[in-house]
Amino acid sequence: MNLKHQPMQAMPGWLNHSLMAVLFSVLVVWLLGITSAVQAAQAANTANSASAMAGAVTGTSAGNRGADYWRQVTRGESGYSTHRHDEAGVLINRSGEDWRLLRNDTIKTYGAWALGVTLVGLVLVYLLFGANKLDSPRSGRTVERWKRVDRYLHWTVAGLFIVLTITGLSILYGRHFLPELMGKGAFGSYMSLGKLLHNYLGVLFAILLVIMLVKWLANNLPTITDIQWFLQGGGMIKGKHPHAGYMNGGEKLWFWVLFLGGVVLMLSGLVLDFPAYFDNRDDFQLANLFHAVSALVLICGATAHAYIGSVGTEGALEGMTTGQVDETWAKQHHDLWYEQIKTDASEDKAND
Amino acid sequence: MARMKFLCDSERCIECNGCVTACKNEHEVEWGVNRRRVVTINDGEPNEVSLSVACMHCTDAPCMAVCPVDCFYQTDDGIVLHDKDACIGCGYCLFACPFGAPQFPQEGAFGDRGKMDKCTFCAGGPEEDHSVAEREKYGRNRIAEGKLPLCAEMCSTKALLAGDANDVSDIYRERIIARGSNKGAWGQNLAYNAAGRKR
Amino acid sequence: MRLTPKQSTSDSSSDKEQSQTGLSRRSFLGRSGIAAGGIAAAGMLAPPMMRKAKATSAPASAGPGKPEVKRTICTHCSVGCGVYAEVEKGVWTGQEPAFDHPFNRGAHCAKGAALREHGHGERRLKYPMKLVDGKWQKLSWEDAVNEIGDGMQKIRDESGPDSVYWLGSAKHNNEQAYLFRKFAALWGTNNVDHQARICHSTTVAGVANTWGYGAMTNSFNDIHNSQSAILIGSNPAEAHPIAMQHLLYAKERNKAKLIVADPRFSRTAAKGDQHLPLRPGSDVAMIWGLLWHVFENGWEDKQYIDQRVFGMDEVKEEVKKWNPAEVERVTGLSEEQMRTAAKTLATNKPGTVIWCMGGTQHTTGNNNTRAYCALMLALGNIGTSGGGANIFRGHDNVQGATDFGVLSHTLPGYYGLSGGAWKHWSKVWGLDYDWVASRFDQDSYEKAKGKPAKPMNTKGIPVSRWVDGVLEDKANIAQKDNLRAMVFWGHAPNSQTRGADMKKAMEKLDMMVIVDPYPTASAVLPDRKDGIYLLPATTQFETYGSVTASNRSLQWRDEVIKPLFDSRPDHVIMYKLAKKLGFADQLFKNIQVNGEEPLIEDITREFNRGMWTIGYTGQSPERMKAHQQNWHTFDYTTLEAAGGPAHGETYGLPWPCWGTPEMKHPGTHILYDTSKPVAKGGLNFRARFGVEFEGKNLLAEGSYPKGNELKDGHPEFNDKLLKKLGWWDDLTDEEKALAEGKNWKTDLSGGIQRVAIAHGCAPFGNAKARSVVWTFPDRVPLHREPLYSTRRDLVADYPTYEDRKSHYRLPTQYSSIQAQDFSQEYPIILTSGRLVEYEGGGEETRSNPWLAELQQEMFVELNPVDANNNGVRDGGQVWVHTPEGSKIKVKALVTKRVKPGVAFIPFHFAGEYQGKDLRSKYPEGSDPYVLGESANTVMTYGYDSVTQMQESKVSMCKISVA
Repeated sequence: MNLKHQPMQAMPGWLNHSLMAVLFSVLVVWLLGITSAVQAAQAANTANSASAMAGAVTGTSAGNRGADYWRQVTRGESGYSTHRHDEAGVLINRSGEDWRLLRNDTIKTYGAWALGVTLVGLVLVYLLFGANKLDSPRSGRTVERWKRVDRYLHWTVAGLFIVLTITGLSILYGRHFLPELMGKGAFGSYMSLGKLLHNYLGVLFAILLVIMLVKWLANNLPTITDIQWFLQGGGMIKGKHPHAGYMNGGEKLWFWVLFLGGVVLMLSGLVLDFPAYFDNRDDFQLANLFHAVSALVLICGATAHAYIGSVGTEGALEGMTTGQVDETWAKQHHDLWYEQIKTDASEDKAND
Repeated sequence: MARMKFLCDSERCIECNGCVTACKNEHEVEWGVNRRRVVTINDGEPNEVSLSVACMHCTDAPCMAVCPVDCFYQTDDGIVLHDKDACIGCGYCLFACPFGAPQFPQEGAFGDRGKMDKCTFCAGGPEEDHSVAEREKYGRNRIAEGKLPLCAEMCSTKALLAGDANDVSDIYRERIIARGSNKGAWGQNLAYNAAGRKR
Repeated sequence: MRLTPKQSTSDSSSDKEQSQTGLSRRSFLGRSGIAAGGIAAAGMLAPPMMRKAKATSAPASAGPGKPEVKRTICTHCSVGCGVYAEVEKGVWTGQEPAFDHPFNRGAHCAKGAALREHGHGERRLKYPMKLVDGKWQKLSWEDAVNEIGDGMQKIRDESGPDSVYWLGSAKHNNEQAYLFRKFAALWGTNNVDHQARICHSTTVAGVANTWGYGAMTNSFNDIHNSQSAILIGSNPAEAHPIAMQHLLYAKERNKAKLIVADPRFSRTAAKGDQHLPLRPGSDVAMIWGLLWHVFENGWEDKQYIDQRVFGMDEVKEEVKKWNPAEVERVTGLSEEQMRTAAKTLATNKPGTVIWCMGGTQHTTGNNNTRAYCALMLALGNIGTSGGGANIFRGHDNVQGATDFGVLSHTLPGYYGLSGGAWKHWSKVWGLDYDWVASRFDQDSYEKAKGKPAKPMNTKGIPVSRWVDGVLEDKANIAQKDNLRAMVFWGHAPNSQTRGADMKKAMEKLDMMVIVDPYPTASAVLPDRKDGIYLLPATTQFETYGSVTASNRSLQWRDEVIKPLFDSRPDHVIMYKLAKKLGFADQLFKNIQVNGEEPLIEDITREFNRGMWTIGYTGQSPERMKAHQQNWHTFDYTTLEAAGGPAHGETYGLPWPCWGTPEMKHPGTHILYDTSKPVAKGGLNFRARFGVEFEGKNLLAEGSYPKGNELKDGHPEFNDKLLKKLGWWDDLTDEEKALAEGKNWKTDLSGGIQRVAIAHGCAPFGNAKARSVVWTFPDRVPLHREPLYSTRRDLVADYPTYEDRKSHYRLPTQYSSIQAQDFSQEYPIILTSGRLVEYEGGGEETRSNPWLAELQQEMFVELNPVDANNNGVRDGGQVWVHTPEGSKIKVKALVTKRVKPGVAFIPFHFAGEYQGKDLRSKYPEGSDPYVLGESANTVMTYGYDSVTQMQESKVSMCKISVA
């Protein structure tokens, strides 16, 4: 992955290319590692579940006390206990088993597939179609696309997202290969720190994400143009660029995925973050499932977003790094917006 | 090879909570953390039944399967133990456990979960047997002393049995024969073979 | 049970290394040191960044050193469970189950399993303290004893010795209890009492007056032989959990039928075959209802009654009135329920009756206990293995403290307060009777048998009424002055009813002295600024001595640890006070004092020389210690040692253990069991009430213990009877010298007992049990409605007693209270009981975090019907009001354990008073973890007509949302 040809004069000091390179490579190692490691584990799990399913409660005859209470407790009915926590009276929590199967079998498997498919898909897209090059040479004139505050917001959220992705995926998949990779001791240290980072940075991420989504909401309201943009496949099919305003249909789609996914992610994350306020396993189980699914969706989405916004589209990244895009790029990808700013500019001139 | 299990005979359990305080006593478990508890179903009604419950040391333990840091391990005796140093307090083992066995002391300003604590079958943890570290983190290691869990040893009516699954089953079977019916074994089908855990 | 201990980390076997769930422990350990390299970020984390698991408050020492193992007995209830205490360097580090102990086989309830906390004692009272200007101030033992002694002397000079009240304890060991009673005697008062008054005094009176001794007749272990059991007002699952071990054993092994008569569906009822939810306070009606079916069907044991029971005809007459309809009207139990229960008891013999405070704590408590006895006598269940009246006592040594007469109506050994009794004990003490008598107030305030009686010979004020001893008009009290100083020596005041009056009384006193390991509610209840002294006593784990379990077995306790903080054992404190008060020389005349500590064994030997009535004479320290060291030799069911140093003896030498220790009597496992010779623990009913009454023979007819040479009933033994029988010359010359003019109770040589037993006779004679007691207010037990009854229709039919002018020195109200109708305003019956986690007033157990965590709030149990009628939700706060004007604010527990119309409150809480939190009033650091409203703040007036037992099982209340 080569980002070197991009201008970098306006890059914030803390976010330099080398760090990004490291983070990206970590992500890649990850996704490739997971797919194989998970498969083995899943196979074993499924086998256990199957054997476990086979048995039923034996030895109790109908009508006696034993059978009755057995039915009650296995239904998860609550009794009396002198212990204080909310679920002390529950002898058997049925939902734990459902949660485990959903998390360990369904989410981990499909999540790994989703991550793998996304990555492989993007690589294939790159290999088959290559980057979306500028049709015309750079004009050398630039227009401002992202204000400084937007860029800071974007990169902070992106940075946090990456940290949360790494730590989050470690929690989901790490045990299958990280101990082998880094040694059990280092894995323990890493996971302890990782959980702390995930829990605390998660709150910060949530706050900034809310600000970002609110700030950019106006630009991302769907319009009729977006439908046409999608009908034309975003320019991928015919090689002709459909019309687009400041944000094109694809970008808006990502916004709304981020919006919806983000809300679920945040709310579920906050439940998991503050166990003291929720004393109920069912809440945690549900929150955890929502959190994992929304996170996986967003990770896949973000990976695609990162590809499209960098190597996938020539001239796109500089918009978010320097804030300026070449007019050629603007004309090609956001013609309506370009026209708008040109009109505005000439009106401004006329008004002067 | 011994296979360590608990069994609670509900025909005998009287909810005296002796097992609970025996555990507190033996391991000096802090206030708010309860490795064992007693639950009464149908409290105050003719079909009232009490049962003592803790970690059942499942053969195919759900907690082990979901732990992100893989801090659980099973001893050769089938006892499910965990490494508190590795534990990150995520709570997943609690989500997965049917019995609500994992306990978390609250920590920090936001009430984070601290290191998970649960019944060790009085078998300590990964530290060296009888070391100070083991005692401080997990309590006493009775198994290494050739003794059984104190909760069962002190059970007021001998309702709670602990030990090798075969021996425990034998004792329970004798009682069934004496009573003429198989009433009220808790754990027999549940954790003593994986089958019982599923619906 | 074969164990495979966890293998050490050096073990090389690694076949299971890679399990499907991840790495095995061993491979984890093997690899933890190796950094596999890889991701740079992880390498940045140095090991210290990994949070180490936090240590809990683990004890200082760890590892299997060589701890010293002490053998002791649980100090909570009277079952008497054995404990192995592991001690390292003076610290109590471990508690191991005593699997070889014949009572509990290693088992414990919540309290017993949490005993080791006594080695921490975090919330204990740590130093002597006094209240000055409303603040607690530390002071030295010397200053404390001097100030207390001077204060008492002043009161004595002004108001006489009866103005100081000595409230003793069932938590004393036998030696301390005996010494305490003697202490009060030498101070010169009968105003001494302890908790037995408010737990089983009606049992002792009722049962002793039925067949001789007022104690549990069999044992917990003997229940193994029962075919049926009826538990009345007894909830062993919570009050005596280890007793449940034996009950369930019988249930399993014999298919024994358990009938649980309790207004509440208790944890015990849940294990029963039948539950009889009687209306609180209708015990006599229920028992007569059962007997109605027994007599109706001819299920009674006629031969047994003819030979061994007196007055059953009168009972039969009374029972005739209790037809099923009337029984249902009074008790709420249907004909079907009663018939089933009666049949179960009649057809599953031997059967036992078990009762506790649900039966005893009533204004009619003595009637209840006598009715239970009558039921068992009719069925012929007394004096047989598997039968008996298994009366479960409360505190660990309440049996011992009762036996040693820490009671206002008797000297040790139930000798009473007559001149003869005082002369007997003066002789045992080696003191001049006249000197002892001179210690008392010499005036007279009441008459006995028409003659003026001196305070030395009149019953003192009972603990249940000390409040009235303070508050009542001086003119109405049969002693010189009101009570002016109270010594609470191991007493929880919240176990007494009428809390509001008690608070007033505490505020009126000149001085309060609290001797206890904990400050107790006494320290915080009164709004006083000064005049309270707190003296830190040790628990029984910081001293040693003997303790009597409910089954009359004496057990020896080791000292586990040295006294914690600045506390002292009770007998040391008694020495200090006696020295200050000037009678230490007399008190310890036969007892060696080392420094300030009287030698426990010498105290044991002294009471061995005097306790002939109930056979506390054979249990020398040496014999008790031998039993303690050989727990494993005693049988789990028969309690008899097979081999070993105690071969043939019954565990703990249950009294009566006749004669001198040298006589080697094995103790009496089962009272009145005629199948064995007296020398082997056999017995018959005691000839306590004369030889005939109203022209009818009171002695047994044709029933006698195995080997009895007289082969019939006979009166109790004295020198004259021995001479008449020609057995006098069986005595040695020394014995003859001491036995001349004496009887089996007063012969200090023990010769009369020895010779009687040698001829197969019980020293106390051989008589019938009596099911009528002509000296009691109700000759035949009668049902009488409680003072605060919600059933006015029944009050009219079954009224209570007339008010009495002087009952234990105090006026006592009955009908004047019952005459008031509160039933409209207070429609719910209020009853009280206990929780398994706590004991007594609960100060000790609520200070134990392992227990306190389990019951963090005082509550009231309400049936959903009553809850909904009063707008109460489960978990909500409610006020419980009672007719005397007190109220408590507690949490509602809505449950079907109680029936509609009945509310239940547990009595272990204190530290809150009518909605006010008293935590700030405790000396710093000695407030229990859990505080709560005291049940007895709202429990009302009412006292038994024979013993002044308090009525704490039936009152009435209304519930309102707080």
